[in-house]
Amino acid sequence: MNKHILTILVFLISLTIHSQRAEEKSSFNKIKERLNISLESNSQWYLNDDEFEDFDEKERLRANSYLRMDYQISNRFSSGFQLESYVPEPLLNYSRLFDKEFGLGTFYLNYKTEKLDITLGHYYVQFGSGLILRAWEDRALGFNNAIRGGKVVYDPTNYLRLTALYGKHRKGFDVSNSNIFGFETQFDIANAFELESLNSFQLGISYVGKQEDYNNELTNSQATIEIPELVNSFGVQLDLEYKNTYTNIEYIYKSDDVRLNNVIPNIISFSEKALFDGNAITWNIGYSKKGFGIGSTFRRLENMRFFSERSALNLNKNPTSQLSVNYLPALTKQHDYTLANIYLYQIQPGLVIENYEFPLVKSGEIGESIDVFYKIKKGSLFGGKYGTKISLNWSYWANLTSTYSDPSGIPYFVGDDLTYETELFNFDDKLYSEINAEIRKKWTPKLKSIFTYINLNYNKGFLESKGADSFVNAWIGIAEGTYKFQGGKSVRLELQHLSTNDDSRNWAGGTIEYFFNSKFGLYLNDSYNYEESKITENTKIHFFNLGGSFTKGSTRVGINYGRQRGGLLCVGGVCRPVSKNTGVTLNFVATF
Amino acid sequence: MKKIICLLVFSLNLALFAQEKLPNTTLKTLSGLNTTLSEIAVNNDLIVVSLWATWCVPCKNELDAVADVYDDWVSETGVKYYAVSIDDSRTAKRVKPMINGKGWEFEILLDENSDLKRAFGVSTVPYTIIIKSGEIVYKHTGYTPGFEDELYDKIVAFKN
Repeated sequence: MNKHILTILVFLISLTIHSQRAEEKSSFNKIKERLNISLESNSQWYLNDDEFEDFDEKERLRANSYLRMDYQISNRFSSGFQLESYVPEPLLNYSRLFDKEFGLGTFYLNYKTEKLDITLGHYYVQFGSGLILRAWEDRALGFNNAIRGGKVVYDPTNYLRLTALYGKHRKGFDVSNSNIFGFETQFDIANAFELESLNSFQLGISYVGKQEDYNNELTNSQATIEIPELVNSFGVQLDLEYKNTYTNIEYIYKSDDVRLNNVIPNIISFSEKALFDGNAITWNIGYSKKGFGIGSTFRRLENMRFFSERSALNLNKNPTSQLSVNYLPALTKQHDYTLANIYLYQIQPGLVIENYEFPLVKSGEIGESIDVFYKIKKGSLFGGKYGTKISLNWSYWANLTSTYSDPSGIPYFVGDDLTYETELFNFDDKLYSEINAEIRKKWTPKLKSIFTYINLNYNKGFLESKGADSFVNAWIGIAEGTYKFQGGKSVRLELQHLSTNDDSRNWAGGTIEYFFNSKFGLYLNDSYNYEESKITENTKIHFFNLGGSFTKGSTRVGINYGRQRGGLLCVGGVCRPVSKNTGVTLNFVATF
Repeated sequence: MKKIICLLVFSLNLALFAQEKLPNTTLKTLSGLNTTLSEIAVNNDLIVVSLWATWCVPCKNELDAVADVYDDWVSETGVKYYAVSIDDSRTAKRVKPMINGKGWEFEILLDENSDLKRAFGVSTVPYTIIIKSGEIVYKHTGYTPGFEDELYDKIVAFKN
C-alpha cells in the first residue's frame, strides 16, 4: 500500500512540474532554484568464478539506490526526504535491516532563523568530535543512524550555542526500540571575554542518555543486580589556539551497563551479575606555520561501545555497527592504495571478553599518532624547481592492560560475575604500530610522482580473535607517476609491493589508468599474492579490476569488472567485512 | 523495478536545469568558528568551493595542482578558493598541519559531519563548484590531471 502511494506521489509531482514547465516557465524555474536533487545507484551482478566456490545466493543482480530531495519552501522553512531502494536485495554484506525494495528512508522539516534552528523528522548530528554522539550516513558502508525525532539549536548570543535533541535511531526502515536524549552547550570563551590574544578558546559540555527497557527473556537466569534502563554519558571538551599552536582535550564518562556475554558468540545474552562503566580521553596538540606542520593525538578508550539497543553489541549479528550512538574511528592513517589496506588496524573500544583457557579481557585501547608535514622550498637542493612535499606519520596502539577476577569461571567459560581493573597508562600489550612516509614531487609541468613507504606491525592473533599473539611484520613500497599530455589526456602508473615473511607473505600490485580527456577514463589494476604460504586462500589468484568512468559536470557513471578479495572495507575509520566475489558493478551518481 | 524507472523519469525531468541557491549549512573555520557559504558569498563575488578529505589522493592532487597556480588565478580573476574538508574526527586533526605543511594558501573550512556534502547531494569527493554572486553556476565531480586548466577557463568565463 505504502509503496503504491509513493509511486503515485512521485508521478504526481513529476506531472505537476511538467505542466508548470509548459504553462509558465518562470514559476518552474522558481521551483527548480529551490530544489536540490541527488541520485545515486550502485549495482552489482555477481558471477561464478573458477577460483572460488560458486555464488550460491538466490539473487545475482542487486542494486542499492538513493534519491534525495531537498526543497527550500520559504526563507525559513525547508523540507526533504530520501527514498531508498534495495532491489531485489541489498548488495552482498550490507545490513539485512535494509530489506525493502523501495521505501522512505528519511524525511525532515526544518525551520531556521539567525538564532534558531529546529528540525522535526530525521536529522544528522555530532557533539564535539563525535566521541559522545554522532548520527551520520555512509552509503559505501551501508550505514545510517539518523535520529528520528526533534532537534533544537539556539544561539542566544554570538558566543553561545545550545543544542537539545530527542529521538530514536533509524534501524533499517524502522526505528530503534529505545529513546535518545541529548544536550550540548558550546561556549566561545575567547569571544565572550574578548581575549584577543587567542585565536580561539572554546568550551563544550554535553550529555547523551539512552533509555531502553532491559529484556531478560533472553536469558533464563534471574538478574541479581538492577540493570539500568537509562545509560548516561557526559562529555567535556576544551579547544585552545594561540598563534601557531593549538590544543584540544576531550573527556567522556559513560555510566554503568551490563556486558555482552560472549560464551556462545552467535547468541545474544548478557552477564547479569556485574555492571561496567566506561570512559574516553583524547588529547590533540599541534604546531604549524607555512611549509611545516606537526600534530599529535593521544587517545585512551575504556568500554566505550555504546549502542541504542544493547543487542547491537553483538557484532557477529551486527557487522556494520548499526545503531551506534558514538563514533569511534581507528586513529591510524587512512591509505588509499590496495596493498596498504590488507593489514588494517581495527579499533578496540572494549568491552569484549573472549573465552580461552583463561579469559581474554579486551577492555579498550590506548595509543598515539603523530603527523609531520614539510615542504622543501623551491630552488633548494632537494626542492628542485617546484618544491618537494613530505609527510610522515607514526602511530602505536595497545590493548589496555588489565587484571581480572573471575570467581565462578572455569576454563573456556567466563563467569557472569567477572570483574576487571585496568591500568591508566600502560602501553605494553601492543596491537599495532605503523610508520609511513609519503613524498610528492613534481618534476616538470607534465610529470608528477608520489612515493609511499609503510612499515607496519600487526597483531593478527589479537585483532582477528585467534587467541595468542601472532604478529605480522610487513613493509609496503608504492611508486606512482602521472604524465599529462595535451587536451586533458593523461596516464597514471602505480606499482606496489608488500613484503613480509609472515601470514600470506608477499604481494605485488599495480594500476594503469588512462584518461582520453577530462571526462572519460579507463583503468586496470591487479593485486597478486605470489608466494607459497600456509594461508592458501588468496595465493596465486589475481584480484583484478578493469573499468572505466564517464564524468560530465556533476554526473558520473562508472563500470567495473573485477574480483574482490575478502576482507574489510573501511571508510572513514569504520569497516565492514566483505566476502570474496567476482562481478560487474555499475555506479551512477548525479546531482540536479 | 517499475518504481526505479519512475524515479529515473522523475529525476531526468529536472536534469536539464542546474540548481542555484546556496544551502545555509553551518561550517567551521580552522579556529572553530561557525560560518556559512551564504555569508562568505556576500563578501566575495566569485568563489570556488572544493570538497576534499585528507585521505583522498585525487583531492590532494587537485589541491596541489591549484596551489601551484593559485597566485596567478587570484591576481588575474580575483577568485577565492575554499577547500572544505569533509574529514571526520578520525582525520580532522590532520587538516591544519597538512595544509600548512603543504603550503596551501587557499581558505580552509571544515564540514566534520558531512552536512554540506549532504546538502549538495555529493557522493564522492573531490567535488568542485563555482559560485558567482551567491548562486551556484558550475558543478563538477572527480578530478583528472589537467582539470585545473578547465576549471580556470570556467572561472575566467564567469568572471566576465
